[in-house]
Amino acid sequence: MFRLAFALTLSGFTLASFSLNSFAAEDDAWLVLQKAALAARELNYQGVFIYQNGNQARSVQITHMNDNGQELTRNLVLDNGLQSGQAREVFSQGSDIVIFHPQNDKIIIEKRRGQNLFPAMLPVNLQPLKLSYIARVGMLDYVAGRQAQIIELIPKDAYRYSYKIWTDTEYGLLVKMTLLNDKTETLEQIAFQEVNMLNSHDLNWFQPRIDASKNYVMEDAASLNRVHTNWIVAELPPGYIKVDHIELMVNGKASPINQMIFSDGIASVSLFIEPIVKGTRTKTGHKLVGSTNICANVINGYQVVVVGEVPLATVQMISKAVSFKKQTASNR
Amino acid sequence: MKDQLSALIDGEFDVASAEHLITSIQSGGEMESCWQHYHLIGDAMRGDRYLSSDFSARVMSALEAEPTVLAPKAALDNQIERKKSLFQSNQFWSIAASVAAVMFVGMMVLQQQLTSSEDMAPVEMAQIVPLEYIAAHQAAAPSGAAYYIQNVNANINSAGQ
Repeated sequence: MFRLAFALTLSGFTLASFSLNSFAAEDDAWLVLQKAALAARELNYQGVFIYQNGNQARSVQITHMNDNGQELTRNLVLDNGLQSGQAREVFSQGSDIVIFHPQNDKIIIEKRRGQNLFPAMLPVNLQPLKLSYIARVGMLDYVAGRQAQIIELIPKDAYRYSYKIWTDTEYGLLVKMTLLNDKTETLEQIAFQEVNMLNSHDLNWFQPRIDASKNYVMEDAASLNRVHTNWIVAELPPGYIKVDHIELMVNGKASPINQMIFSDGIASVSLFIEPIVKGTRTKTGHKLVGSTNICANVINGYQVVVVGEVPLATVQMISKAVSFKKQTASNR
Repeated sequence: MKDQLSALIDGEFDVASAEHLITSIQSGGEMESCWQHYHLIGDAMRGDRYLSSDFSARVMSALEAEPTVLAPKAALDNQIERKKSLFQSNQFWSIAASVAAVMFVGMMVLQQQLTSSEDMAPVEMAQIVPLEYIAAHQAAAPSGAAYYIQNVNANINSAGQ
């Protein structure tokens, strides 16, 4: 009840301040986004959202609860084999994510960490975003039968796409987000089809549906932590910083792959570097898959691949910025 | 009976009257695999230490220390080992499943290398869909709407190729 009251006061405050003057408009827009980032994590809600990328669409049922500061979420992917008990279930507790992924007669359990999942797409700290985007208050609209304020995130340069964010005017919750290219074509869209606040504190929903006839196995992709230092990325596109560096096993690869993740606060790019194994074909060139740009290069006997939901210029700039130090790389 | 088993694991079943459950688990078969699955699911949801970040390191050291792990079938027949401790066998199975998966991947790579050693010309990116890179990127991206949703599709595509 307190949270609801808090949300109402905050929304009253932001709506009132919209009318003050146009100079304050950008601050207001950031304030709405700040509220959306918090609302997604603090409120208790249940709904169905649809994710569209390229020609693919998926609907997902979400239940989110903040249990005394501990965030619990269950996502159930509704499109694939729900009747046959083959639906994918995703649980998150704090920053830990566990995915139950049915595959033929097995259910593969995958573990992940620290991702901002819908509707908590915005980071709580918006400061990095302010370097690369201008926030602008847009029109009022309706999403899932609820009134929503549109906020536009407009990039300051050509190294990122723009975002349109719809937030519930009553609760502040992010209810819809689209990713647009420089021609204002929609590349990706994620939006609630229905959403309701939850009053109950019952946690019985937070458990996987167990199919006793299936084998449960942990995924084989285990992250390793050794880090090579014989390569450097000379110059990143403005606003991007390195947020992670991992080594991982990818299906079908004999040696671990170095993965560096760069982000400007909302858009992210992965850089993959792996030694070229004798007898395998290297990849070159670039491709757009849905909203994802991919660019591949060969540098000094290494396969370099850059992937991200960003313009082609961004993945190309990062792939060109990779160089290797003088001493010949040994794989061991 | 499976409901009772689940309740037993959750500590919601009277242990004194659970003898029939223990017996059926020990006799192997479906109830035993059920027991293993429920524990694995429980471990995953709780973030058990056996599934923590140095999991792979422990798999590798377990591999070195325990060569019989390479033949899980044989280990299954080892009744004495199994009766020793259900807890130990539970750990063992989480590890054995991973090792089997790693071996499978290793075999795939070997096969690929054998078949593709002739043609060394680079592949033009436009001709392929590098799903493994997209999946790995989306799995690690700080803001991820796409990963768990899209990956379903990625797996279907790669299985169909």
